[in-house]
Amino acid sequence: MTQVKLISAWLGGVLLIAGLAGILESWAADVFLEATRPDFQKISLGVAGIQNGGGPDWLGGRIEEVLKKDVKRSLVFDLVDLPGLGIKTSDIGNGVGAGSKAVFKQAAEKGVSVLVWGKAGLKEANKEADVNMEGFVYDSGSDEVVGGKRYAGSPSVVRLMAHRFADELVFRYTGEPGIARTKIAYVSEQGAARELFVMDYDGHDARQLTADGFLNLMPRWSPDRRFLVFTAYRNRNTQDIDMIELATGKRWTVISLGGLNITPALSPDGNFLAFASSHEGNSELYRLDTRTKAIQRLTVNPSGDLSPSWSPNGRELVFVSDRGGGPQLFLMGSDGSNVRRLTFEGDYNAAPVWSPRGNWIAYVCRVRKEYKLCIISPDGQKRMQLTTGPGVDDSPSWSPDGRHLVFSSTADGKSHIYMINADGKDIERLTFEGTHNSAPSWSPAS
Amino acid sequence: MTKTLGIYSVMLVASMALIGMPGCSKKSVQSGGDSQSTQGMAKKGSSGNGGGSGSSGTTDSSRSGVGSFPDTGVQSAGGGLRGLDKNPSEERVGNGTMLAKMDPSGSDGRQLDEIRAEQAASSAAGLRDVLFGYDSWTISEEGRQALTRDAEWMKSNPGAQVKVEGHCDERGTADYNLVLGEKRAKAVRNYLVELGIGANRLSVVSYGKERPFCQEHAESCYQQNRRGHLALKTGK
Repeated sequence: MTQVKLISAWLGGVLLIAGLAGILESWAADVFLEATRPDFQKISLGVAGIQNGGGPDWLGGRIEEVLKKDVKRSLVFDLVDLPGLGIKTSDIGNGVGAGSKAVFKQAAEKGVSVLVWGKAGLKEANKEADVNMEGFVYDSGSDEVVGGKRYAGSPSVVRLMAHRFADELVFRYTGEPGIARTKIAYVSEQGAARELFVMDYDGHDARQLTADGFLNLMPRWSPDRRFLVFTAYRNRNTQDIDMIELATGKRWTVISLGGLNITPALSPDGNFLAFASSHEGNSELYRLDTRTKAIQRLTVNPSGDLSPSWSPNGRELVFVSDRGGGPQLFLMGSDGSNVRRLTFEGDYNAAPVWSPRGNWIAYVCRVRKEYKLCIISPDGQKRMQLTTGPGVDDSPSWSPDGRHLVFSSTADGKSHIYMINADGKDIERLTFEGTHNSAPSWSPAS
Repeated sequence: MTKTLGIYSVMLVASMALIGMPGCSKKSVQSGGDSQSTQGMAKKGSSGNGGGSGSSGTTDSSRSGVGSFPDTGVQSAGGGLRGLDKNPSEERVGNGTMLAKMDPSGSDGRQLDEIRAEQAASSAAGLRDVLFGYDSWTISEEGRQALTRDAEWMKSNPGAQVKVEGHCDERGTADYNLVLGEKRAKAVRNYLVELGIGANRLSVVSYGKERPFCQEHAESCYQQNRRGHLALKTGK
């Protein structure tokens, strides 16, 4: 009994000293790696090429390049270099016969679990070009060609074919839909205006959605991916919350209460829209019941409350409040009950987003005067800084698989969009055009 | 001994709760989708109306500032993936499933023309701006002096309407800077009201860090961007 007391006193002392000495970060880093390790080992996968099935030489190479990057970004697979292992991939042929059998055997011996190959061609039919792609999968565990896919479409969807096939691979080995077909909405400076854009998750195929010549800010997806909600300054004296339907471009105002109406966020079931509004004085949080149109005020406080983000089960919200001076993260029930402060470290923590798996909340933390990405567990026990160095990092948004974040940063000068793994590794820049790209929001998986 | 066991069991329960979360969320999303699919048809009609009224540029204020709302819950899971097949049949991959061609007709530069006109009018009137400290919305002595002169001008031009714009430097989040910008704009407005200017002649707007005066990543520039800008309203 006394021993237990002694140990707990000793532990308490150690924790206290650790906190005071400010070494919590390095301690949290160790815990973090353990907590986010995937429940499976990465599956080693080799892409044995997309052969030319008639058509231009670049076609197969383009598909192979996109596919390999998707496979790598999935974090489900470990992309192996087949020629580097001495495997002659061209022998794979059409996947039947002695040549391919030899390649399968070689791959299995070298520890490659999955082999992928395919064929792509382009032909003119009825005056329209048509791309055909086939992809096949060999699994060394069962020692058989487990199946494949055949796609057809216009040359403009070549990248989408590769993305689709990559997602099928993820689906096959995890049961999850993959993220290769997801999109990222963001804000891009166009002259003196800021307009909404949507691009593929890898930064390709950016398209402009709004063109009203002024400010359109902080887009967020609807759970069904069909709409974006965002703050619009169409009338410069009020900032409303608008909605746009992606398939039609149709746009209308959903919240127009007067004052500043910002940071809209739809609940995971689409039944509520949480947002901040200053129409009753200072910025407070509200939620709109999207079916009854009833608006419920969630916070009552003389300081600023904003940036709500839903827990994946829709029961709680994390948000920002400067009720203690600087902005800090708080949690509450989605009806405004049970408010408690989540962050205590640092004097500036903002822009929280709850991970789709529920186990982390990403946010912007001010560390030594720099604005960086941090993550914290909803119980406040684990915390880690993900980015370092100069530049203002802002607006983190989770990938639907919870393995990545997208964010904006001025690390390279102008504000651009970047992707990073949830463990802080593999930063990848996604935008290169334009003068200012910001406020990225990652779509749900389809 | 019992104490340690207690601690362990608390940790176990906590970690189980965390592990359980994704499962819970999936269920709630699916059940939401199921319950909505029955009323989906009726809702879609109303969403069309909302879009129609919205695209004409007016605000639907019939229900205290709330516009129409479509169903946005997930209707079906699965993501359109059909799985690998030993004899795969052809799947047509389309492009235009989710993104409409943008209608640029709304972009007529009207807003920017208005801003240019306001800027010209403001500088002709000699209105002065207020600069703020880092993280701060407190008006400095220098700021008070500027506002005192602005108030004098407004008193001798009783018909003038002024819009106070709150601006922030690029440090900090876009979201919080909108709230900070509003605090700055309101601090300026409140001080002008203290100086005897009617509140009905003053409006506030926050631009956060979205419309900086200066684009460099340097304190000299940041200083210029932490601002309460007085814009003289032109037109109505």
